[in-house]
Order: sequence, then structure tokens, then C-alpha cells
Amino acid sequence: MTETAIRTQKLARRFGNLTAVDGIDLQVAAGQFFGFLGPNGAGKSTTIKMLTGLLAPTAGSMELLGLDFAAHPVEVKRQIGVVPEGMGLLERLTGSEYLQFVGRMYGLDRGTTQRRANELLDFMQLADRPKTLIADYSHGMQKKLALAAAVIHGPRILFLDEPFEGVDALAAGALKALLGRMTERGTTIFLTSHVLEIVERLCSHVAIIHKGRLVAQGSLEELRAGMSGEAGSKTTLEQVFLSIVGQDGTERPHLEELSWLM
Amino acid sequence: MADVAGAVGILAQIRLVAEVRWRILRNGLRRKTNRFDLLGMIVLGVFSGIFVLGLCFGFFAGAYEFLSHGRPGWIALLFWGIFVFWQLFPIFATGFGAGFEFRSMLRFPLNLTAFYIIGLAYGLADFSSLASVCWLTSMTLGAAVAKPSVLPAMLMVVGLFLLLNVTLERVIGSWLERLLSRRRTRELFVALILLSMVSLNLINPIVNRYGALLKPLALRVIPYFSWFPPSLAGRAIAGALQAHFAELVLGSAGLLFYAAVFSVFLWRRCSAQYRGEELSETAAPARVAARRVAKAEDVPDRLSALSPQVAAVVRKEFRYLMRNNFSFFTLIMPPMLVLIFSSMFTGKHPTSEHQISSEMFFPGMMAYLILILMGPAYNCFAFEGRGIQTYFMVPLRFREVFLGKNLMLLSVLAVEIGVSLVMLAWWLGLPSLPVFVATLAAMVFAVVGQLSLANWSSLTFPRKLEFGQMRGQRQSGMAVLTAFAAQIVFGGVSAVVLFSGRWTGNPWLPAEAFALLAAAAVGGYFASLDALSRMAEEKRETLIEALCR
Repeated sequence: MTETAIRTQKLARRFGNLTAVDGIDLQVAAGQFFGFLGPNGAGKSTTIKMLTGLLAPTAGSMELLGLDFAAHPVEVKRQIGVVPEGMGLLERLTGSEYLQFVGRMYGLDRGTTQRRANELLDFMQLADRPKTLIADYSHGMQKKLALAAAVIHGPRILFLDEPFEGVDALAAGALKALLGRMTERGTTIFLTSHVLEIVERLCSHVAIIHKGRLVAQGSLEELRAGMSGEAGSKTTLEQVFLSIVGQDGTERPHLEELSWLM
Repeated sequence: MADVAGAVGILAQIRLVAEVRWRILRNGLRRKTNRFDLLGMIVLGVFSGIFVLGLCFGFFAGAYEFLSHGRPGWIALLFWGIFVFWQLFPIFATGFGAGFEFRSMLRFPLNLTAFYIIGLAYGLADFSSLASVCWLTSMTLGAAVAKPSVLPAMLMVVGLFLLLNVTLERVIGSWLERLLSRRRTRELFVALILLSMVSLNLINPIVNRYGALLKPLALRVIPYFSWFPPSLAGRAIAGALQAHFAELVLGSAGLLFYAAVFSVFLWRRCSAQYRGEELSETAAPARVAARRVAKAEDVPDRLSALSPQVAAVVRKEFRYLMRNNFSFFTLIMPPMLVLIFSSMFTGKHPTSEHQISSEMFFPGMMAYLILILMGPAYNCFAFEGRGIQTYFMVPLRFREVFLGKNLMLLSVLAVEIGVSLVMLAWWLGLPSLPVFVATLAAMVFAVVGQLSLANWSSLTFPRKLEFGQMRGQRQSGMAVLTAFAAQIVFGGVSAVVLFSGRWTGNPWLPAEAFALLAAAAVGGYFASLDALSRMAEEKRETLIEALCR
């Protein structure tokens, strides 16, 4: 039987009168490259924040690697890595200092931390500016550093909120290869992205959240088959996404209302 | 075909910007922490109001006195006071402009004239400008009451003086903004300002010691000041009163000339900004060859006695401190002021011939150090920014973050106290052993006792501060009030305990009492850490929201 990496039950988060996440039941098997999709404001980042301990749920429960997050937050955090929205970097450290800080915070010994930090900086092509503060990095460099910090302790689950945003094609290719190798070795990757082509290329399984509710979940093949009614369909993820998210007709823009612009 | 919006008048645009700023303030009050802040702002506003109003009476009385008693030339002194305050206060205290990203206005269809006028109008919205306008109005009223005939001249001169001041403030502000767009320059500038603030404290001792020597030099220099705007304003008013028409014209023309020159400079700056000058444009740093970080085995771990997490936080805090010139130089100030105070008061009291006793001066100076140095602890996450999320992502309890931060603060305090102690011992000598021991125990009590409160305040009233910047920085009002209240309580208790030795005639009583209080404070501190850890988990959203803005 496949081990479950992430399981949520009736997970919900409200901000005053607004329900950002409305009782979702997620299930992600270990080793899956899982894409979490949804339109703007659907509740993706809120869900990731709850799954990584940055935000407390209003209701429901979360289990990561079989551990109840609420009961064992430290044990869970030891086994996960996160690239949060906004990256969460300490901008007045250099890249190397930041990685060493994070490695030590995860409890790695000093030697291991330094060795891994050096290797990651080399891999991310960030080693040639050892004295540059993170504040002076470009957006893409910060993204790469945030990813390096998320994997320095060898997490079993990796949460990535828009990891390729602002990263150049060369680096994106290397990162994708790295993430692919990690899933081969059993790491679960939970990724959100607005670029559906990336999700389609990398992820084996996908969930779609819309207005705080989970509206679809399954493998890419299952979702395609669900739409076209036949297995092995050529339907793209974008078509699947649009058909699910825009199916009530409210999402489609009414261009005739903007006649003054055309 | 798309429509094109019609032109919007300058006044309408000023009104729109004012509305936006009002909305920003009002919407900010929706947050609970900001509502608490409002309380702090109101307290600050009351004090500022008293300051401005008090000086309004002073300027009214001054103008009335000088004009009604036949000393019209002296009114220049009042203009000088306003001029210095108007130009220097923004640099030393509030920063330029009103914390509004004025250049963002360029997105909108403004012409250069509108951009210039809006900029000038917003120069009047600063505290220094508003206060100065109030004082100028008071002066005008005082002058008019004393000599009604001088009113037209006064209105003209005050109007010109106001125009040149607001223009000059904007010119200096925009030049400095350009200069300070580089982080290093900015931090260096802040350091210079702090050092000059410290230097101001040296004026009194220098005047006391070298006053006689400096007097002839000052008398030679003073005539040159007659060509500065405040002196010209005074000259014009005196001319109007004494019917010296040439003096009135000369003074007014001088003011007009200054206003015109400053306007040209400001126009040039505004034009550059209007054309899209990017202030942050600097030469790209040269790439250096990849250099490996030293291997861990090469360097002994000096913090090996601490847990890896606490050691990591201490290291990070140390690096942040060393890179934040603003914070770093605030650490230099307290021992320097101790040095100044002790050198001023050595041997005798400044107002009497009685010798100052180190029995009182030593505890007083130590209390002063704690008062100054504990302030930042009440908002200890101020410089984390988005990095605050790291603490919630990694597998640790928040007590380790507090331990690391508090340990770093204690180290800084230890160094500062050590340096100050050596200076005090050198200038004044150490107090008696019972007072010395009591003071040290009192410091442990006051510092450790405050740490728990400071940690609580940091979680409850977090406020992001920009790293290495003085401009536009505003502490959380409630954190400041909490720190103020805590300092009063701890200072009061300490003073009572310290005096108990004199009252009872038992010199060791304060030391014993403080030892007990210090033990209780240390116990309380460690007991509070777990509760604060839980609180941090509960408050994480508030923290992240406040610091990631």
C-alpha cells in the first residue's frame, strides 16, 4: 500500500466573513509530484500556509507523513521544506550565511551545513557573489536561494509556491531536473503555479481549488479522461482547468461590457 | 476606439492625493494593532501640540516685545529659530516628505508644473512645516499687535520666507533622497547624523572651557550671517518699521532672490524625476571569482555550548547588528553620553559647589544605560521583514528564537556596561562595595525582568522597521508605551530598594533585596519562555502580516 504524505480532512480557514478555504479533503501519496491549481484568490496559498504551519486552520485536521500537524508541529516541520509566497528570506544576510542559518535551524551540524550550503550555491549558480547581500539579489536569484534553503535538510515533502516565477529558463531547467530526481528518490513535491504547462510537464497528480473548495483531484490522466470521457485523451491541462473552473459561466469575461475599450 | 480621460486640474489632483493618504490612514486603523498604535500617536500628538502651541506664545511674545520696545532688528533671531528648525528637524527626526511615495505620482498624467506644485504643496504637510507656519503666524500677529502699521510688510516678508523655506526643504530633501538611494551612503549618512547629535552634547563643555577664546572668532563670523534669509527677513521688518525703505526693499529682494534660486534648483530636480530618473540606479557590482566558504573544520565553533538553533539566531543577530549602521551607532551613543556626563560632572555638581557622589551617579548612569538599550527589545522582530516566516517554517520552538535574541542583547548590554563602568571608574571612581553590588544585582533584575515583557510586546505589537534607515521609521506606539511603563515600574522599584539602605542604615540591604528580585526575575523569565512560545504560535499571523508588509 502507498504511504500517504499529505492528508487533510475538512480543512478550512476563514478570515472574518470570508471563507478562503472551505473544508477541503486532500490526499497526496508519498513520492508524488503534486500540482495544486486554482485561479487567483482560490485559496492555494492559504492552503500551503496551513500545510506548512504558517497559518492556523479554523477547522479540520492535517496529517503529514502520518503525523497530526497540530499535535506534532516540530516533528512535521523537521521533515518538510517550504518556498513560501514572498520567499521569507532574511535579506541582510548573504546567500551563504542564510543557508548556514537555515541548516543550523533544522539541526544539521556545522560541517554538514557548510558543505551542503556550498554545494547548493554552486548548483544554483549563486556562488560567485559570496559577499552580496540577499537584498541585492535579483528576484530570480532570491527564488533560487529560497529553493536551496528549502531543500538543505533533505525534506521528505517539499512545498513550492510559484517556484519558477522570475527564474530564467536555464536555471528553471536545472531546477526541474533536480525536483524530478527528488521525486524519484521518494520526496513528495507539492507545487502551486499559474503556468499550467509547467504543472502538466512536471506533475503526475493534480488538485484544483476554486472559491475555497476542492473541485477536482486525481492523476492527470484521470482528469483528462473525466473531461473527454475516454482514457488517453489529448485534452490539455489548460482545457481541463478552464472547463472545471469556468464551468458555471461566471468566470468567463463578458467582453461586450468593455465595448468602450474596443 | 477607447476613450481618453479628460485633463484633471492641479487642485483636483492635490485633493485626490490627500484623499488617498487619508484612506490609507483610515484603512490602516481597521487592524487591531494599528488601532493600538493610534493611541500612541494620540499621546505623541498631544505632546507635539503642546510643544507647537507653547512656542506659538513664545514667538508672539517675542515679536511683540522686540517691536514694541524699539528693537526691531532682533526679530531676525525669531526667523533664525524657525529657519533652523524647519530645515534641520526633517533631517534629524522625521525624514523628508510625509512618508508618501511621491514619485509614484508619475504614473498619472501630470504635467511637470503640476508635479512641481503638488510636490511643493506636500512639502507643507510635514510636521516641521506646519509647526513653522504656526509660529510665523504667531509672529505676524505679535508684530501686528505691537505695531499695526508693520502688518503689510510682515505679511509680504513672512510669505516670501515661507516660500523659500518650503522650497529649500524640498530641494535638500530631493538631493538627499538621490544621495541616499545607495544603501551604503544612506547608512553612512545616518551614522554621521547620529554622531553629530552626540556632538551637540559637547557644545556646553566646549563653550564652558573655551568660551573666552571663541568669542572674538564668533564676533568676526556673525556679520556674514546678515546675508542669510532669516537675517534678511529681520532686516526688511526693521526697515519697514523705521521707514528705511531701502532696507525693506533690499531684505525683500534678497528673500525673493533666495526663493527664486531654490525654485530653480527644485525645478531641475523635479524635471529629472519627471523624466523618469531612477534613483536606485547604481553601477552593477563587479563579479568576483567563486570563492568557497571556509570549511567547518577550519574554524572552531565559539558557540558550541549553545544549541544549534540558539547559536544560529545569535549569529544572525550579530550579523544584522553589524550591518545595520543605524542600530550599531545607537550602541555607541550611550557610553559616549556616559563619558560626556561624567566629564561634565566630575568633581562638582554643575549648579553647586557640592561634589557629585559616585554613590548616586553610578547607579543613575547604569539606569540610564538600561533605559536606552532596552528600548529596541520591545520590538525585537522589527528588522526580520519577510524572514520572520523562516522561524515558523523550521522545526523549533519559539523559546529558542527568544533565547538567541535575548542572549545577543545581553551580550551587547554586557559590553556597553563594561565600557561605561571603566569610564565611570576612571572619571569618578567606583562607589562603595554595597552600592556597587546592589547596582549590579539591580541591573540583572531590571534587564531580565524586562526581557519577558519585551518579548511579549514584540509578539503583541510588532512593527516592521526598514533596515539601516532613519527616514520614515515609526516604532509601534503601543510598544513604546509598554516600554515606557515598564521602565517606570522597574526604575521606581529599583530606586525605592536602593534608598532603603539609607533609610534603614543597613548598607547591604539593597544588595540582598536586589539579589532576591534578580533571582525571581531570572526564574520568571525562564518560566515565561514556554508561554511565549505558545503565544508566538497563536500570534504568527499577526507577526507575519505586520512584518511581511
